[in-house]
Amino acid sequence: MTNIKTCIFIVFLCFLMNQSFAQSVNWQTLKNNRHIAHIHTSWDHGLVYGLGYSYQLKLKTPILLQASYSLPSGNQLLDDFKVKLGGQVRFYKINYFQFSASLYALYRRFQNPLVRLQNFGTELSIVAGYYKSRWFIAGEFGFDKAVVTHFKHSDRFKTFIYTNVQDGWAEPATGGNFYYGLQAGVSFYKSDLVLKAGLVSEQSFQQTPIIPYYLQLGYNLKIK
Amino acid sequence: MKNIMSLWLITSMILLLGSCNNEFEVNDPGKLVPKTVDQDASLPSIFINGTQLHSQTFGNPNNPMVVFLHGGPGSDYRNGLNVRQLANDGYYVIFYDQRGSGLSQRHDRNTYTIQLMLDDLTAVISHYRTSSSQQVFLFGHSWGAMIAAAYVNTYPDRIRGIIFAEPGGFNKKLLDEYGAASRKIKLFAESTNDIMYPDQFLSGGKDKHAILDYKLAIISGFAYAPGNNEGNEGPSPFWRNGAVMLDRLVEIAETEGFDFTTNLHRYETRVLFIYGENNKSYGLSFAQKEAAFFPNAQITQIDDTGHEMIHFKWNNIHPIVLTYLNSLR
Repeated sequence: MTNIKTCIFIVFLCFLMNQSFAQSVNWQTLKNNRHIAHIHTSWDHGLVYGLGYSYQLKLKTPILLQASYSLPSGNQLLDDFKVKLGGQVRFYKINYFQFSASLYALYRRFQNPLVRLQNFGTELSIVAGYYKSRWFIAGEFGFDKAVVTHFKHSDRFKTFIYTNVQDGWAEPATGGNFYYGLQAGVSFYKSDLVLKAGLVSEQSFQQTPIIPYYLQLGYNLKIK
Repeated sequence: MKNIMSLWLITSMILLLGSCNNEFEVNDPGKLVPKTVDQDASLPSIFINGTQLHSQTFGNPNNPMVVFLHGGPGSDYRNGLNVRQLANDGYYVIFYDQRGSGLSQRHDRNTYTIQLMLDDLTAVISHYRTSSSQQVFLFGHSWGAMIAAAYVNTYPDRIRGIIFAEPGGFNKKLLDEYGAASRKIKLFAESTNDIMYPDQFLSGGKDKHAILDYKLAIISGFAYAPGNNEGNEGPSPFWRNGAVMLDRLVEIAETEGFDFTTNLHRYETRVLFIYGENNKSYGLSFAQKEAAFFPNAQITQIDDTGHEMIHFKWNNIHPIVLTYLNSLR
């Protein structure tokens, strides 16, 4: 029952908040903290602001259930956003070297005067790093797949561009991006301050996004 | 723990089922972008220089020819169709979508070159020309005006007169200057977000023309976003952008540079420059810089409009262009 309540709480938080990359934590200082709040600002296909929450399960292997919500800047606050639900696990540790993996389900939305896109996707990543009690540095590699996307075009699109454009769910998967980079953080009191940076490449490695990098400054607060 | 696993399983199943139960294939011709001439035989087209171009003509084929060169690179002639009114004034008006652009045939990315664009123009003129004495005028808009300059820079004796509607830059330096003024990124603006954010929804390999052209279409709104520097009043129509062709020509410009000005001093016929009053990136000073490459140039401002002047203010442009053309017949 407790777990069901936890899940409902996580889902609730998902839809209250908005987008992000995998939330970075200092595994060395996590210990028995159960509740962790995250905030961040990042360059992630736009200037993005996000909130997140992690819940640590009481297990021998550290597992974090996570939810986050992010949205890009702009005049229209609710037209674009990304929700993530998933978790990460530290699956291997040797001295101060620790390895973790994460898996998230994504829902994201984009709307401009021409089209509304809704997408369900998934994101996988692995992180390998050196974690001390006051700081850490790690490398990460991830893949963000836009699995299925719904298209709804506006009258403007149909008038000025293509009258017979198709609305509805599209296949095959409409996109995917690899990302790889470094993350580093400092830990103090109940907090982590984390900086992440790296490159983004389209899944075929033949194209790059308009801005082919990401940058994130995040803050974690271990609540309890 | 079991409940958590169940929730995760259900979520995964929804995603999996969702991805299998779809309505259309993204890359199918005609779904997100219109078919090109090689995919739709009902579209008017010509076969020249090893490609198939979307093309239309208006007027008497024996009249002096006006070839309209659309912008982009990669866009199409739909926003220039007002120019067909010149057919009623005694001109044979030719429209075509450039190779890899609009509704014309797509090709492998590495085949596109600026010289090929000029060769295509030569072939289009030859295709429609009915006699060797038929006068040929070029009417170029934006990138199309740059192509017009490149053409007379290479072949100064073939063209009777030229109308330049806000060419983006006759050499790399001027192009950079225009680009910096017209494409300023406003970090917190919705229009910036409208360009960047779709990258996580849509991606394609370097020759996935349909999906890449579609991406370009849905971010086209930045050109007329409120407060845009080019003074565009609103959306102007187009059929389909050629993203691969655009990307390739931008790459050529960045890596090899270009200079279409080296022989322009040899073109002694008067040329006409028109610019929109509201385009803050262009203006009289930029027009003067470009006109200075020619020995004889006329510069005329089109009031109360921006870069898309041919679509929005054709009635103001028409008498100026017609007077210019008639003066050279």
